[in-house]
Parts: sequence; C-alpha cells; structure tokens
Amino acid sequence: MSLTAGVDVGSAAVKAVVMRVGEGDDRVLSHTVARVRRRSISEVVDEAFAGAVAGAGARELDYVATTGEGEDAPFATGHFYGMTAHARGALFLEPRARAVLDVGALHARAVAMDARGKVLGYKMTSQCASGSGQFLENIARYLGVSQSDIGPLSLTAEKPETVSSICAVLAETDVINMVSQGLLAANILRGIHDSMAGRFARLLQSLGVEGVVFLSGGLAADDGLAAALTRALAVGGRPVEVARDPQSAFAGAIGAALWGGFRREKLGMGGAAWTVNPTSLSSGA
Amino acid sequence: MNCFVGIDLGSTTTKAVVLDEGGEVLGRGITNSRSNYDLAAELARTEAFVSARFRLLQREVEKTAGGAALERLLAAFRLEQMLVQLASLEAGIAEEVGRSVAPGLRRAAGEAVGEIFRRFAAEEELRFADPDPPARSDFFRDAAGSAYARLAEELEQMSGVTFDLLIGLYDKCIVRVENEPLELGFREHIGKALARAGGQSPVRAAVEAAVCADLGVGATVGTGYGRARLPFPREQIRSEILCHGLGAHILFPGTRTVLDIGGQDTKAIQVDPQGIVTSFQMNDRCAAGCGRYLGYIADEMNMGLHELGPLALTSRRPVKISSTCTVFAGAELRERLSLGEKREDILAGLHRAVILRAMSLVARSGGISDEFTFTGGVARNLAAVRALEGLVAENYGKRTINISADSIYTGALGAAHFARRGAAA
Repeated sequence: MSLTAGVDVGSAAVKAVVMRVGEGDDRVLSHTVARVRRRSISEVVDEAFAGAVAGAGARELDYVATTGEGEDAPFATGHFYGMTAHARGALFLEPRARAVLDVGALHARAVAMDARGKVLGYKMTSQCASGSGQFLENIARYLGVSQSDIGPLSLTAEKPETVSSICAVLAETDVINMVSQGLLAANILRGIHDSMAGRFARLLQSLGVEGVVFLSGGLAADDGLAAALTRALAVGGRPVEVARDPQSAFAGAIGAALWGGFRREKLGMGGAAWTVNPTSLSSGA
Repeated sequence: MNCFVGIDLGSTTTKAVVLDEGGEVLGRGITNSRSNYDLAAELARTEAFVSARFRLLQREVEKTAGGAALERLLAAFRLEQMLVQLASLEAGIAEEVGRSVAPGLRRAAGEAVGEIFRRFAAEEELRFADPDPPARSDFFRDAAGSAYARLAEELEQMSGVTFDLLIGLYDKCIVRVENEPLELGFREHIGKALARAGGQSPVRAAVEAAVCADLGVGATVGTGYGRARLPFPREQIRSEILCHGLGAHILFPGTRTVLDIGGQDTKAIQVDPQGIVTSFQMNDRCAAGCGRYLGYIADEMNMGLHELGPLALTSRRPVKISSTCTVFAGAELRERLSLGEKREDILAGLHRAVILRAMSLVARSGGISDEFTFTGGVARNLAAVRALEGLVAENYGKRTINISADSIYTGALGAAHFARRGAAA
C-alpha cells in the first residue's frame, strides 16, 4: 500500500488528489482544484497540492506524480504524459470506458485505450481555441449566463441555432448579432454545444473508438455538452454511451497518482518521497 | 453645394467622410459603433458635417482673421456638445437613482451624483480655458467614463456613498444615454460657442455664412462590416474591399497593394492604376492577424491598447511567439511572463506575430510588386508599423510604404468617391 498524490496542471486550473493505492483497494482520499485566473502557475500548483495534502491529513507521501504542464513542480517525484494519466484515471472512475474525451480550457483531446489503460491512439483539436472551454466561457459571459447555468439552459432549447465554428475572440460580435436578432440564449448555447460535439465526435471517430466514452476535464460537468456529444456520436450508427463522474475533472490527477503508485511498486522504491516538512524534501527516485 | 457622403460601418468604429463637388474632403466624423448601427451611422454623419462646416469656416476665416480664432471656436463648440451629453447623462442617472437605489440611500446618492456632475462641468470649463488640453478619447463613453470613475472615487470618502454604487449607476445608464439621439449638429451649437469664444466680426460673418451654406447631399454610399444594416437602397452599398481599394488609391495614387488591418478583419488588396480592385484576400473570421488580437492582449496585460505599441518599441530582444490563435497567444503570454521574460520583449513578438499573419494574406493576394499602402486602426500603432517595414523588406526588398494618419477613414473615403462617381455617371 502506498500514499500517492497526483497533480494535473492545466491552463485554467490545477487539480490535485491524494490517493491510497495498492492491495486491490485504490481510493481517492482528497481532491482540490485551484483556478489559475491571473496568478503565476507555481503559486496555483502549490495551493492545489497543499489543499489536497491537508484534505487527506497526510504527513508524508510515497510518490508525487505530476501531469499536464506540471513537470517543473519542485515536489514532483515523477511526471506522466496527459494521455496515459487520463486513460488510467478514466478507467478508475468508469471501468467500462474504452476512450476518454478530455475537454479542458484550451484543448480537447481524445484517447483510445484498452481495458488495462494502455493507450491505443490519441488526437488533439487543432491550434485554434474555437470550441474550447475558454470559448464556451467567453460566450456565456457575453450572454450574461453564469458557468453553472450553461448546461441546464442548453437542455431547455427548443429551436437550436446552427452555429458554424466561430473564433473564440470574435464571438463577442457574433453573439451580440445573434441576440439582437432576437435569438434566445438557450438556443444559441445548444447550437454551440452541438457544434463543439460535432468536432469532438469526429475526433473520436477518427480514432475508431468503440464502447463507452468517458468525458473528463473541466467541461465534463456541463450537462448540455454531454447530451450534445451523445447525440453527435449516435448519428448514423448505434448509440454510444457517454459516461461521466462527479470527479471527472480529476481524471488526469487520479491517473497520475495511480501510475505513481504503480511505478513505485515496480521500481521497489522505499522511503517517503515527500514529507510535510519542506526542508527534508527528497527526490526519492 | 452638392456633397457626397461615404459611411464605413465598422465593427468597432463608424466613420463618415463628406466630399465637396470637386472631390476634396470637407469633413470627417467618427464614433463608436455600439450595438446600434443606425444611430452610429447618423452620429458619424452629423460629426462629418460639423467638421465640414468648420472646414468652410476655415476657408473663409483664413482669408481674414487667421486660424487661431477658429481653434477657440472649435474648442467652444466641443464644450457645448459635451455639456449637452453630460446633461443627458446626469438626467439619466438621476432617474436611475430614484428607481433602483434603496430609499435610505437615495438622498445621499442623488447629492453625490449632483456633485460629480458639478465638478465634471467645471473640469470641462477648465479644459476649454487650457490652450493645450491633454489628449483624450474621441468617444463620449470613454471620456465621460474615465472622468466619472475618477470623481466617484474622490466623492466616495465625503459622501458615504460607495464607489461601486456610483459606478453601477453609470454602467446602467451609459448605454441608454449613448443610444439617445441628441442634437449635436453645427447649427444647434455654433451660436452659443461663438458667444463663449467671443469671436471678432470677421469670424461672426464667416460663421453666418457657414450656417447658411447649403450642404445638400448629392449621394451617399455605405460600406463596412455592418453595411447590410444601413437604411440605404442596394445601389448605395459597396463592399468594403472596393471602397478600401479606391480610398487607398485616392490617398496615395501610386498604390498598387493595400493592407488594411481593422478591428475584426484584415484585407490584402491589389489595385490597378485607377484604384480598381484586381484581387484580394481576407482573413476568415479569425482574430489572429487583426486588431482584436492586440486588443485581447491588452486586456490580458491590463493595459490600454494605445500603450502596447510604445512599450513594444523599447524591446531589445523580441521573443518568437509560437501560437497562432489569439487565445493561445494569450496563454503563451501568461506563461512567458511567469517565466520572467520581459513584457516589452513578449509584446514585440506579439506585434510581429500579428503582422506576420497579415503578411501571409498579402502574399496570397499576389505579393508586393510596387507601392504599398498600410491602412486601418493598427496602422496607428508604431510597433506594428516597424514590424511591417521589417517584414516587407525581408520578403520583397525595398518598397515604398505609405501610411496616413487618416487611414482609419480609407473605407469611408472610397465610399464617398463611389457616391461622387455614381452621381456623375
């Protein structure tokens, strides 16, 4: 049994978990999210990590695993690629998952995997923020809709507006034009969800995904997006199940923590990799 | 006199140009487009006619009294216009106080607002008295907003009414007040302005003549992003590509290639020796490569748009920006700042990136073989101009590059010339 932490550094938020790993009983003991806003990344990373450690009441950790942009974290024992971390985390939260769609603030990526979490292939959206989490956040702000209302509002749409992909920055004018034409916020949001889901479905289909798709990342909590993705994946074939979990946003951090525990065991590492007193910090590896 | 009017309804600003019968520019007007295109077009037109009548006045007065007398008159006129708008804003806010402020606070809030506007009007009088007043935004929303916020902060201590409440009142009212059609024309205010400026008799006579001058509109042509919304018949609408091509040709007759970087789009246009468009390329609804890119960066850095260029110019070691997308460039900016890179070096890199992207449009439209004209709002940013000069020299060798201070009016100028040609045909 080991006590590990996973820290997933994204562009808008840092997610951290502390887990108990091994002996056939893997459990999440605590999880913390810290929003970056306009702060320096290292400050936010420290805050998220400290929050998770305090939440678990941990005095020392056997492995601290980072993923995302977290390579430089001073307390890291090792770093894992985003795809492998998300695949492992998704399987932990939903054992039937054979693909992950991770929708974050700037990028979306699809990962296909086998039952053991081995990555079979992955694809990312292009170098444009249209259809990203940041994009949806901007649109909601222009519409005067709060983040948590995006999903519920989108679900009430009666006449979805067709929205072709629009620039995340110029969307402000597009939204003003749509509103001035008398279109309802619900119909606009539903149209945007449909347009995003269409892109994500193509991403998943190009990987030849079969079976349950697990939605991870910050946007997994958006019911409107999940519904749109379910519709988009069902087009022209049998329905595909889109699974989510309240801890979907932590899939990357959870996967990293699990991989950390696995690596420690494999390498036969002994002793604490991190203790609560920062002066006794050791690399461990 | 028969005049010709061109109106360029842009996404950010609306511009109008008035030509006389000979095709000479009589007046120009600009306003922010807000969300009301009809009103923006009308305001830009009114402003252009105000400046046209001042131009007539100038022609007249220069013969007799010299230019200085006119400067005072123009300042007095601007003051009168400002006071009318302030009165409208004050009335709107007073009404809002009665409607939305809690009864217990109403009196204090009303008094604080009254005091803000008393001080505001006094400051405007001082501004008029200053022979060389500090520069400020052309737009009422910006000029009034910054003064109001400053005065609200001053009064917060004295009045016991919070800054947030005061600024909230302003935010609620400004859009409504801004969309209220006010009489801001020449004839409405020149009398009071003249009384204030105390002009001598030759000026008075010239004003009389300018008031009476019959500026009939021979024809109007509209163009720009919002042109479809203009209340004009179809034949009075021209695409912004045609208008920019012709406008650049009028400004610089030798022009064969035009690059216009506006708020939300960028156009590269090739024109023939008569100013007629032969080919063009536009960016496809993407903020990278147009003015909004720099606007987004300014917001990210908490700086004013006009402060970016000067800071970028101080860079010694510009960085290379790897993102294309504006949002990604913003993320890259934050990352680089957190790594301790210098703001000016990152900004210089961002200016180069926006120009680099625009230059790819120029290349696709046919490159630069001869005289090159750079127009649009971004042409007022010196760091962008320097980056452009560097990239033109690198890719095409030595070329004549024209940049005009009035380049923001290029589209409206072209439209006005189309109006004049249409009337002649």
